[in-house]
Amino acid sequence: MDPKTAMYIAQGIHGLAYGMILFLIASGLNIIFGMMGILNLAHASFFMLSAYFSYQFLFMTGNFWAALLLAPLTTAFFGILVERFLLRKVHALGHMAELILTIGVSLVVLAAVKIFWGTESLPVKIPPILEGLISIAGMDYPVYRLFVIGLALAVLAAMALLLYKTRLGKIVRAAVSDADMVAALGINTPLVFMLVFGIGTWLAGVAGVAIAPILTVFPGLSDQVGMDAFVVVVTGGLGSLSGAFVVAIIFGLLSSYGVQFFSQLAPVLMFLFMAIVLAIKPTGLFGERE
Amino acid sequence: MTNKVLKWLAWSILVAILAAYPRIFGLYYTNLFVTFAIFALFSVSFNLLLGYTGLLSFGHAMFFGAGGYGTALALKHIPGLPLLPAVFMGLLTGVVLALMLCPLVVRVSGTAFAMLHLAFGELMHVLALKLRSITGGEDGIGGFPIPPLNIPGVLSIDMKSPENFYYFALVCLGVSLWVLWFFTKTPFGQIQIGVRDNSTRIDYLGFKVPQTKAVVYVVSAAFAGVAGSIYALFQNLISSSSLNVLTSFAPITITMVGGVGSFFGPVFGAAIFQIIEELTSRYTEQVELVMGLIMILVIMFAPMGFAGMINLLKQKWVSSRAARIDSKEPS
Repeated sequence: MDPKTAMYIAQGIHGLAYGMILFLIASGLNIIFGMMGILNLAHASFFMLSAYFSYQFLFMTGNFWAALLLAPLTTAFFGILVERFLLRKVHALGHMAELILTIGVSLVVLAAVKIFWGTESLPVKIPPILEGLISIAGMDYPVYRLFVIGLALAVLAAMALLLYKTRLGKIVRAAVSDADMVAALGINTPLVFMLVFGIGTWLAGVAGVAIAPILTVFPGLSDQVGMDAFVVVVTGGLGSLSGAFVVAIIFGLLSSYGVQFFSQLAPVLMFLFMAIVLAIKPTGLFGERE
Repeated sequence: MTNKVLKWLAWSILVAILAAYPRIFGLYYTNLFVTFAIFALFSVSFNLLLGYTGLLSFGHAMFFGAGGYGTALALKHIPGLPLLPAVFMGLLTGVVLALMLCPLVVRVSGTAFAMLHLAFGELMHVLALKLRSITGGEDGIGGFPIPPLNIPGVLSIDMKSPENFYYFALVCLGVSLWVLWFFTKTPFGQIQIGVRDNSTRIDYLGFKVPQTKAVVYVVSAAFAGVAGSIYALFQNLISSSSLNVLTSFAPITITMVGGVGSFFGPVFGAAIFQIIEELTSRYTEQVELVMGLIMILVIMFAPMGFAGMINLLKQKWVSSRAARIDSKEPS
C-alpha cells in the first residue's frame, strides 16, 4: 500500500466520521422541523451543551460510556423543558417568533456555558479501547472514527425501527403529514410534539458526545459545527432524512478532501455547494416543502 | 391647539434636543448615539425586506460590510476623494453586490431565501478573510484618511471632531429614513406589502413579483451600504467582523424587539438595544445572557415588539377616554 492511497483513505474515514456526526445533528433538526415546522436555531446549542455535559460526567464518573449515556439524556431533558415552557407558548405567533425565540435560547445557552465552564477548550479523553489504530486488510484505521461511524449507523437504525415499526412511530409519521387530523383522532399531539423535540435534542446530544474527543469542547463549537448542520438540512431539503444523509456524507467528504486539495477555499466549499443546489432547486435536493 | 401645530411642535422639540445633545451629554454619549444611528439605519433597511416584503435574510451584514469596505477602499486608494462621494461609494458597493445576487435570490422566498443569504454572507466573510492583499484579512482596513465635508465655496467642516461627525451621521440617518419612509408610502410600496401578504394575487393583478422584489432588495442593500459606510468612517476601520453572522443577526433581533410591523419599530429597537448593552456592560460581562433573555421575554410577553406595545397602550388610552366621554354625557 503506497502512502498516498493510505492518506486518501484516512482522509475519507475522517470525512465519513464528520459526515455522520453532521447527520446525527441534522436528523434531529429534521425530525423537529418535519413534525412541528420549527427551524430550531438553538439545536446547535443543545449539541454543544451535550459536549459540555459529557466533559462534566466524564469528570465526575471517569467513565466515557456513562457520559455517552447520560449526557444526551440530560440534554434531551433540557430540550423538553424549552419546548414545554417556551416554544409551545409562542407557536401561535408564527415562524418568525419561533426563530427569534430559539436564537434567544442559543444565546442564553452560550452565556451559561461560558459562566459554568469558562471559555478555554476542555479535553475529553476516550477510553483506551477506542484509542489508537486498528489494522484491517493491511490498512490502519483510527478506531475512534470507526466507532463514531458505527454509533451513528446504530442510532440511525434504532430511529428507523422506532419510526417505521412502532405505534409511536406511526403516530409521529401521521402527525408530520397532518397534525390537526391526528389531534382530531384523539391523540395527545402536544405530548407527541414534546417527545419528538426530546428525541431531536437527544440526537444532537449523541453527536455532541461523539465530537467532544475529536474537536475538544469549547464555546465556539455550536457555531462551527452547528452552521454546517444547518447547511446540510437546508441543502438536503427540510424534513427529508434521506436528503440529510446524502448531503451530510457529501459535506463530510468535501470538508476533509477540501482541506487537502483547496485549503484556501475549504471553508466556503459547503456554502458554494448549497448556493448552487438552492439556486437550481429552492426546496433542497430531496425536499418537497418550503 | 390643533393637531398640526402639535405635530410641528413635537418635531421642533425633537430637532432641538438632537441638536443640543452633544453639548448636554458629552463626548461618550455622543459616540454612543452615532452607533445607535448606524444600527437604526441598518435595521430599518433590513425591515424593508422583512417587515414590508416578508423576506427574512440571514446575511444582511454582507451589504453592511460591503458598504464599509467600499468606502474604506475608495478613501485609501483615491487621494483627495471628498466625503460625500466616499459615502456614495459605500452605497454603490451595496447596490452592485445586490444586483449581482438579484437574479438568483428573487426567485426564492421563505427558508430558502434566508439560507441562501446565510451562504452568501458566509462566502463574503471568508472572501474578506482570504483576500488579504485587498481587504487586510482579520485586521481589516484602518487608518484611511477621513476627508472634511466640503461644499465648494460655502463651507468646509472637519469630520475628525466627534461632534461634527455626530451631526453628519444624524443628517445621513435622517435623510435616509425620510427617503425610505417616502419609498414605503408610494404605490410601489403598496405592491411591496402585497407581495408579502399574497404574492400569487399580486402576480394575477399584473404586477411583476420577482422584479418588485429585486427593486426592494437593491434599495435595502443600498441603505445597508450607507450604514456600513458611515460605520467605517466612524470607526476609521472596517474589519471582517462586520461581515459575520452575528452582524447579520443584529438587525433581526433589533427589528423583532422594536416591532416588525412598524416603520419606526427598528429605530426604537436599536435605541433599546443600545441602552441595554450600555447598562449591562457597565454592571456585568454577560451581555449575551441579557440579550438572550430579553429576546425570549419579548417574544413571550410582547411579540409585536416595542412599537406594538405602544400601539396597544394608545388604543387602551383612546378607548378609556371614549368611555369617560360617554359616561359624562347625560343619558
